[in-house]
Amino acid sequence: MTKTADKKVRRLKAKTPGKSNILLTVILILGCITVLFPLYMAIIIALKSPSEMTNDIAGALSLPSSFSLDNFAEAMRVTDFWHSLANSLIITGVTIVLSLVIHSMAGYAIGKCMMRHKGFKLVYFYIVSGMFVPFAILMMPLVKETAIMGIDNMFGVIILYVVFYMPMNVMLYTGYLKNIPLAIEEAAEVDGSSTWRTYWTIIFPMMKPMHATVAVLTALGTWNDVMTPLVIMSGSETTTLPLAQLNFQTQFGTNYNLAFASYILALIPILIFYIICQKKIIGGIANGAVKG
Amino acid sequence: MFKRKFAVLALIAALITTSFAVAGCSSQGGENGKTVITMLQYKPEAVAAFEEIEERFNATHDDIELRIESPNEAMTVLKTRLIKEDYPDIVGIGGDINYSNFLDADLFMDISDFEGINDIKPVYMEIEKSLEFIPEDGVYTLPYVANCAGILYNKDMFEENGWEIPTTWSEFTALCEEIQASGMTPLYFGFKDTWTCLSPWNSLAVSLSPADTCAQVNMGNTTFTEEYWDVAEKMKELLNYCEPNPYAYSYNDACTAFARGEVAMYPIGSYAVPQILSVNPDMNIDSFTFPANDNEEDNILTSGVDLQFSIMKECKNKEAAYEVLEFLFEDENIQIYLDNQNAIPCKEGDFTLPSMLDGMKSYIEEGRVSDFHDHHYPSEMSVDAMVQTYLLDTSDNATETFLTKFDTEWVRYNRDLIEKVKKYQEGLQ
Amino acid sequence: MKKNKRLSKKTRTYILMALPALVLFAVFNTVPLITGFVYSFTNSRGYGSFDFVGFRNFIDLFQDSRVGNSYLFTFKYAIVGTILVNVISLLLAVGLNSKIKFKNTLRGIYFIPNILGGLIVGYIFSFIFTYIIPTLGTTLHIGFLENSILASESAAWIGVLIVGVWQAVAMNTIIYISGLQAIPADVYEASAIDGAGKWYTFRKITLPLLVPFITINFILSTKNMLMVFDQIMSLTKGGPAQSTESISYLIYRNGMDGGQFGFQCANAVMFFIVIVVISVVQMKITSKKEEQL
Repeated sequence: MTKTADKKVRRLKAKTPGKSNILLTVILILGCITVLFPLYMAIIIALKSPSEMTNDIAGALSLPSSFSLDNFAEAMRVTDFWHSLANSLIITGVTIVLSLVIHSMAGYAIGKCMMRHKGFKLVYFYIVSGMFVPFAILMMPLVKETAIMGIDNMFGVIILYVVFYMPMNVMLYTGYLKNIPLAIEEAAEVDGSSTWRTYWTIIFPMMKPMHATVAVLTALGTWNDVMTPLVIMSGSETTTLPLAQLNFQTQFGTNYNLAFASYILALIPILIFYIICQKKIIGGIANGAVKG
Repeated sequence: MFKRKFAVLALIAALITTSFAVAGCSSQGGENGKTVITMLQYKPEAVAAFEEIEERFNATHDDIELRIESPNEAMTVLKTRLIKEDYPDIVGIGGDINYSNFLDADLFMDISDFEGINDIKPVYMEIEKSLEFIPEDGVYTLPYVANCAGILYNKDMFEENGWEIPTTWSEFTALCEEIQASGMTPLYFGFKDTWTCLSPWNSLAVSLSPADTCAQVNMGNTTFTEEYWDVAEKMKELLNYCEPNPYAYSYNDACTAFARGEVAMYPIGSYAVPQILSVNPDMNIDSFTFPANDNEEDNILTSGVDLQFSIMKECKNKEAAYEVLEFLFEDENIQIYLDNQNAIPCKEGDFTLPSMLDGMKSYIEEGRVSDFHDHHYPSEMSVDAMVQTYLLDTSDNATETFLTKFDTEWVRYNRDLIEKVKKYQEGLQ
Repeated sequence: MKKNKRLSKKTRTYILMALPALVLFAVFNTVPLITGFVYSFTNSRGYGSFDFVGFRNFIDLFQDSRVGNSYLFTFKYAIVGTILVNVISLLLAVGLNSKIKFKNTLRGIYFIPNILGGLIVGYIFSFIFTYIIPTLGTTLHIGFLENSILASESAAWIGVLIVGVWQAVAMNTIIYISGLQAIPADVYEASAIDGAGKWYTFRKITLPLLVPFITINFILSTKNMLMVFDQIMSLTKGGPAQSTESISYLIYRNGMDGGQFGFQCANAVMFFIVIVVISVVQMKITSKKEEQL
């Protein structure tokens, strides 16, 4: 495995910069089949009616007998699409904003002081170890805790997400800071800028690529999550997209056609978000970045 | 630069306020001094029927407002609401181990003074009684509708080939062999979804072992090795007549295969009919009781309570809740549910049964029914997976290995319960 | 004197910066964790009344063969999975980060597996494993492909693994790409002036600078692989013959759906301790490597 991997890397590096690497493009396009084939299956199922479902391969891969977007319209009706979408967008959006502020601050403080103060190192391991707590053990106590605090609603879900993704994000920020040269902030401090101000004016903007990465990863986790909103918001009528999508599954029957249509619809916003963030990841350290 | 920081803070504040505002929309409270009765029922697939019933109730009652919730993943939702102590007034759940556990946790109100009890078929009241870990005084639930399991068959296929409905085990195996000889597959299992293993298992267990097997084991009077030996052996025999490698195919595959006429019979419950009809809406499906015995008279139909209503102990308005129950059990409202869900009513009376249950009708009418055994199995023991493991085990002493494991695991998973039963028995003496 | 005071003020600012995170984390992670820890000494079902049972749950844990098997499965899965995910995503990141055509489209496509819902993944891959691959195996006469891999007790974990890796690669690729972006171009320019070969540059410059990201990715993918749950729910539900029951699956299924909340809390506590020990060891090793390089 590694040997062929090495070879591939060597080949890609051997090309002269400035020109597109055609061979590599071809390899990567071929690799896409592993994604596009399942996606193709999902899309044609989303376009078919339940009576077109079969167990034989030719039938499963064939195009629907007539092309219609009825499933998509029906799926949007069943899930109360715009309403659920708005809730999902608010939850994911607020979670991302809060994560960027809270986690980056913590990551910066920890990253700066970890080497000098034992306390910060301890805090780092304390938070990162949270990654390995199985959600199932936290779930029931959290249900009770949020109910007592009166935040068994969207706000509570957001706060929980901020906590759930904290270990990963703090780790990412701390790791990223290792690559940021100290000279810049030292220069700022000589100029008389406070630590607080240096952070917001210099460091925070500098971490843009990492913000984009954190935003994408956090969004990935929250967008499709069913369990947290299900148990925390139970009893309220607020739905998110994944919650509404449970409508397609009951104990003894699943409407795959409508469900797939709905999933594909739900996939689009996050895909767009990713593509936007991709540009930020690349454009981030524009001055010093590798010319990709 | 500072401006930017404030802009970010303002944005966060705005977003948080929005999320609060949106969350705040779902405020509760009875309007116009009406008593509000909330009900949570666990079958989201029946939401249409319940919406109709809810509407009819609210149109005819001035003093009570009925709110029926039919959430997805209802059991998880219900459990979390119990933790939050946010109790609905009435719950509609299934007659399975969850009910036993809830009852054991002392969550329900005694409703023995509810008049409607007398209209319920005694056999379903007995089934409810047998779900109590230790016999309780009083009545805690009212069975609403039942489902049943046995064998669904492709009626057209049977008619074309002149096959007869088997009524005994030997007739059944003979039929399977005949079907095989004509180059077709008699049975389809779909054991990839482990829970489907329990469908034929329940049918065999109901006919071949006493209804109170689990309770007897808990009292120490018998063992599963003794009671389930035939069940296990016959279960394995069935493997000769099904699709090759049934562990590769899921419940959904099985429904599709049956709907597409790839197979003659499908040993599953009436609950699978909607999924099958979604693939082939014109299919002619009928059913018969699993012929597990060599004597037709010994066969018993597997039928359990699919939906039952209990009033929570915390309910503040017993009278209003009773009024809701009375309304739910009115014949025309039951019929609304039956038409929507292909179910069997637990109330005595003249109801129209779904046609795909024709073959089981006589058993239902005579009350020759007994509860699914798995309604007594603790779900964490995963008996379905154990049955699947057993079927995959091709060694000679597989049955013994399996049943010995069944007995030892049973004791471990039911440790606290067995102790409770023992204490209760000692108290009796 | 003056200098000391300034330093401590600086430290205070840093503490203030970490505080919001720390408070939230303590309230919504540590407090419920401690509650769960208390539950692990009870026979609670998660609701209703319960009794304290001492260490019974922990004693049971060591005698329960199902728990033992779930540990074996989970670690086997996690070790192979972590290696595969990191090798593939590093290659993919390097590929997607170099001069290629349709760069954004390709990046978008490779991102998709991670956002497909469990229902789609379960249905599509079950179909591929159950119908398409066995048909291919039969027509091409490849013996071991003729039966569905998910129906085989000994090989079902590989099926779950393939899907798990397929979905996980996207996330780690993103992190590797951001890592590659963080390497300043002048480093490459310097090595180009020195006339170093591309492979040499990759091994001696790119890789060492990527080490923090490799560490992060290893920890994250180890975590994700150890917590494997979604793929099992949608592909095998722990079968066939309980051969693909992961620890998270057991904790969730028996703790939440079943009545074993107390026992599964004990299982979760055990699992947490085991992982913390492993990751401390892992971090020690990788941080030593980091220093060496």
